Amino acid sequence: MRSVDREDGPVKVTGAATYAADHHPDGLAYGYLLTSTVARGTILAMDTAQAEKAPGVIAIYTPFHPLELRPYAKEENGELTPPIQNTDVRYYGQAIGLVVAETFEQARDAAALVSTRCDAERPRASFTDGLPSAVGTSVVDVLADGVSSIDEALDAGDVTVTATYTTPAETHVAMEPHATVAFWTGDQVTVHTATQGVRLVVDRLSETLAMDPARFRVINPYVGGGFGNKWDMWPHTPLTVAAARALGRPVKTVLTREQVFTVVGHRPLTAQTVSLSAARDGTLVAVKNDGVSSKSASNGFHEQPANLSLALYGSANLHVSRKAVTLDVPATTIMRAPGESNGSFALESALDELAGELGMDPVDLRRKNDTPVHPATGLPWSSKHLAECYTVGAERFGWSRRSPRPGTVTDGDWLVGLGMATATYGAGRGQASINVRLRDDGRAVVSGTAADLGTGQSTVFAVLAADRLGIPVGRVVPELGDSATPPAANAGGSGSTSTNGPAVQLAADAAKEALVKLATEHEKSPFHGQEVTFSAGEVRSGGDGMPFGELLTSLGVAAVEATATSPRNPVRDHAFRSFGAHFCEVRVNRWTGEPRVTRWSCVVDAGTIVNATTARSQIVGGVVMGIGQALLEDLRIEPETGRFGNATMADYLVPINADIPPIDVEFLNYPDTLLSDLGARGIGELGNVGAAAAVANAVHNATGKRIRDLPITLDKLL
Amino acid sequence: MRAFDFAAPRDIADALGLAGDTSAYVAGGTTLVDLMKLDVLAPEQLIDINRLPLHGIRLGPDGLRIGALERMEDIARHDAVAACYPLISQALLSSASPQLRNMASIGGNLLQRTRCGYFRDVATPCNKRAPGSGCPAQSGDNRGHAILGTSASCAATHASDVAVALVALDASVRLRGAAGNANARADGERTVPLADFYLRPGDTPHVENVLRPGELITEVIVPPLEWARRSVYVKVRDRQSYEFALASAAVAVDLRGGAVHDARVAVGGVGTVPWRLPAVEAALRAGQSHEAAAALAAEGARPLAGNAFKGTLVQRVILRALTELAGPR
Ligand SMILES: Cc1cc2nc3c(=O)[nH]c(=O)nc-3n(C[C@H](O)[C@H](O)[C@H](O)COP(=O)(O)OP(=O)(O)OC[C@H]3O[C@@H](n4cnc5c(N)ncnc54)[C@H](O)[C@@H]3O)c2cc1C
Ligand code: SF4
Repeated sequence: MRSVDREDGPVKVTGAATYAADHHPDGLAYGYLLTSTVARGTILAMDTAQAEKAPGVIAIYTPFHPLELRPYAKEENGELTPPIQNTDVRYYGQAIGLVVAETFEQARDAAALVSTRCDAERPRASFTDGLPSAVGTSVVDVLADGVSSIDEALDAGDVTVTATYTTPAETHVAMEPHATVAFWTGDQVTVHTATQGVRLVVDRLSETLAMDPARFRVINPYVGGGFGNKWDMWPHTPLTVAAARALGRPVKTVLTREQVFTVVGHRPLTAQTVSLSAARDGTLVAVKNDGVSSKSASNGFHEQPANLSLALYGSANLHVSRKAVTLDVPATTIMRAPGESNGSFALESALDELAGELGMDPVDLRRKNDTPVHPATGLPWSSKHLAECYTVGAERFGWSRRSPRPGTVTDGDWLVGLGMATATYGAGRGQASINVRLRDDGRAVVSGTAADLGTGQSTVFAVLAADRLGIPVGRVVPELGDSATPPAANAGGSGSTSTNGPAVQLAADAAKEALVKLATEHEKSPFHGQEVTFSAGEVRSGGDGMPFGELLTSLGVAAVEATATSPRNPVRDHAFRSFGAHFCEVRVNRWTGEPRVTRWSCVVDAGTIVNATTARSQIVGGVVMGIGQALLEDLRIEPETGRFGNATMADYLVPINADIPPIDVEFLNYPDTLLSDLGARGIGELGNVGAAAAVANAVHNATGKRIRDLPITLDKLL
Repeated sequence: MRAFDFAAPRDIADALGLAGDTSAYVAGGTTLVDLMKLDVLAPEQLIDINRLPLHGIRLGPDGLRIGALERMEDIARHDAVAACYPLISQALLSSASPQLRNMASIGGNLLQRTRCGYFRDVATPCNKRAPGSGCPAQSGDNRGHAILGTSASCAATHASDVAVALVALDASVRLRGAAGNANARADGERTVPLADFYLRPGDTPHVENVLRPGELITEVIVPPLEWARRSVYVKVRDRQSYEFALASAAVAVDLRGGAVHDARVAVGGVGTVPWRLPAVEAALRAGQSHEAAAALAAEGARPLAGNAFKGTLVQRVILRALTELAGPR
């Protein structure tokens, strides 16, 4: 396993990295979004007269004076319709206008002068109230021969547990707020915008502005975190691009922190009723999960948390259902491990409850139901070492010290508990194209539309290309996030490295070939007409070698390049997933109930690890987010108004350093050769899955209290 | 943020002379500037008081005197404060973050505004910000709100940690206004016990204290209390740092022969003002068990839908503090 520092570390810590909002083209004007303060209704009037007279104001766009945007052609995870094309209000905090002024401050101050009159209706804002009328008929039943229903199968087990688990709305709060800078040159537009995939933005803009995709150049090499929230395009982007066209000058719009809570989507609430039935020896005989998710009236995305119950533990009988409750709240969207993160909280808590009922060690119960095939489809796993994750994790963590009797271990004023859970996330390989350019300065430029959200993707590019070319990592220049480069994978679904990685390797090989061809065919080449090879960054023939940069310089050729495409994974007779195991220790204060996570080990089976340094950070980040999900994160919807009650970073709590213990991460590093020659699956989301359940299970072990509603705040433990 | 004028006088008389109905003093700015950015406050003039001679941390026979401009971090790290009044030091160190504590003054701390989310969001009603507009917290998001001293008009907590410790210690603030103020000396100076300085919301939650327009806090005075050396500030919150209290307790005990002879108890995170608990102190003086004494803490509490747990929590936080100081009883 390689361990390489981030290639983009120095520019990030010195502030030299240019994020979307760091662009200041000449003549820049500033946009500021107007947002709704009711959750449902119709805008009757917007009085902009005073704001129009305010200093520096250039234009104010509203549904009564809109920028024309066409309906989107496809459904993504964002809103179904472009902003300000009608007077509907679908949620509190919706973009209902854009003020453009000479400075940001002038735009913001003018925005405060716009008054809006609405015909407001009472919003649907309570998930709990909506649960009985949740809709959706999508059901999967996998039943053993002769079994007529899942309930019959549940009855057949020796021990059954049934419980309902809920998770609140969450929001991504990535460090970098969403921002778009757009400027037009003739009928071409350049857009700097925070996104998980520049191609997504090109597609969306070309739909809504009804223009050929070739006229858009979307650039975003650095992204300050996304977590799903910078997938798709959000309302400020088309408004900014259209305003820049209408005004004939560059426009920049940066969302305020508060706007980031409503304008760009959140993770839906979920409720899952899980029943597990097992034989005395722990063998699962039936797994049932009825999952419900909230869904915004303004878009179609909702989670399917129950699905994970089809994919993890072997059981002759499986049942899941998926329903949704529509609420008048901001867009519901993907957030790190959508569905699986919440799904694992329920399933892995239920396993722990079952282990308790059976009097079995939770690790043993999971081992017992570990399966070499996908439980629902029966396809063999391409490469699965989950059992080893349990063994290695239990050993590293000291799991044998766990008391099977909850509430029995104390240390001073603290009740101490140990918990564990399985981690897993789907894996795949899509199609990607990458260009590698060998330059006369001895550097290799690797480019494609991929995004590095802080994940380490650009360093992965550097490592893979360097190894393929036999040059130091520092001589590779990754260029990500430019729509003018070959179409690589957007950052999502933990698929960046598994998809882009093989393409980087192929493109490096193709560039080597192009160089060899040049070396043998160019008349002035010292290798002209010879049999040559390429290794360790040099063109070689017999005993002679020449670094490629020197060769190119001597020939007066600036660069040779090649683009290669790695296809979608063609394997259909295997199933692909990453696995892992979390182990943690939690302490709960016996007086005041605060739960504190004090130790963590995570063992990961995600195929080849290309760069252990950044991979570890990904797992740690997933665990940190899981600790936040377990103990803190809760985006509260006011039932009467549909307003988020804590939509600021002071009130929406995410963990700070003091909440996070040292996190031990171990990679098994078995290449998944059925997925690709590279053998890398994905790690972006894996660490998050199961983490909250591990905490909940440890809280139970510490206190004897089973908390089934996240977050596990101290009031639930008093 | 609205445009404003700015002045930075060098002496107190000039500052007082500049002050008017639409001006605001600014010290560290960590409350004021935040609220200006949110459009909650829109003073027409800022009077920067950082050049005024309001410095110094002095421990003498008459107690501890802290100049209003002393920074939270400096006070917390002051050896004499940490030794003689650990509860002050701990309350400060459990507040905010080091960066904020390096900016924020003790005077500004005592005058910080509530963290109620409606107060800070001008798109919502709020009696404290816009008198008469209503109090959405009564039925809305109120997990963090007060259970003691509330009214139908307002249930916002007073958010300062150190004020809780100071109230427990019978501290006072020295105030300076323009000469000729009623109830003040000829030079406009008066001293007010902190317990009388803060006002419960009643029907006028926008009036939070007895400070008159233009009046300055010049000094904080903490009377001597030998046994305050045995004191603690326990702060309970959802995350371990950088958050306001769900409940906190400032407790000092006079321990004689292993038993509590006397005690000071004040709590935070639960009251509309820093909340002294004389009934709990009396029960402890009377030799009642910690449990019996702490049980009196939530008397008269008026919980809202989301914060009923604070009634239990406030008792537990006192118990935890007492156990830390006096062992289990
Ligand atoms: C993110 C964050 C977290 C925080 N966490 C905590 C916490 O956990 N615990 C806690 O106790 N506090 C916390 N605070 C509040 C912080 O302690 C206060 O903002 C700070 O103490 C205010 O001091 P300042 O000097 O910056 O005041 P300023 O913002 O300058 O002034 C505040 C108010 O006091 C007035 N004022 C200031 N000095 C004087 C004076 N001498 N005479 C008269 N009027 C004056 C100003 O006009 C203004 O109205 C937090 C603040 C932030 C931003
Ligand atoms: S509790 Fe007080 S500060 Fe909060 S909304 Fe009500 S009146 Fe305003």
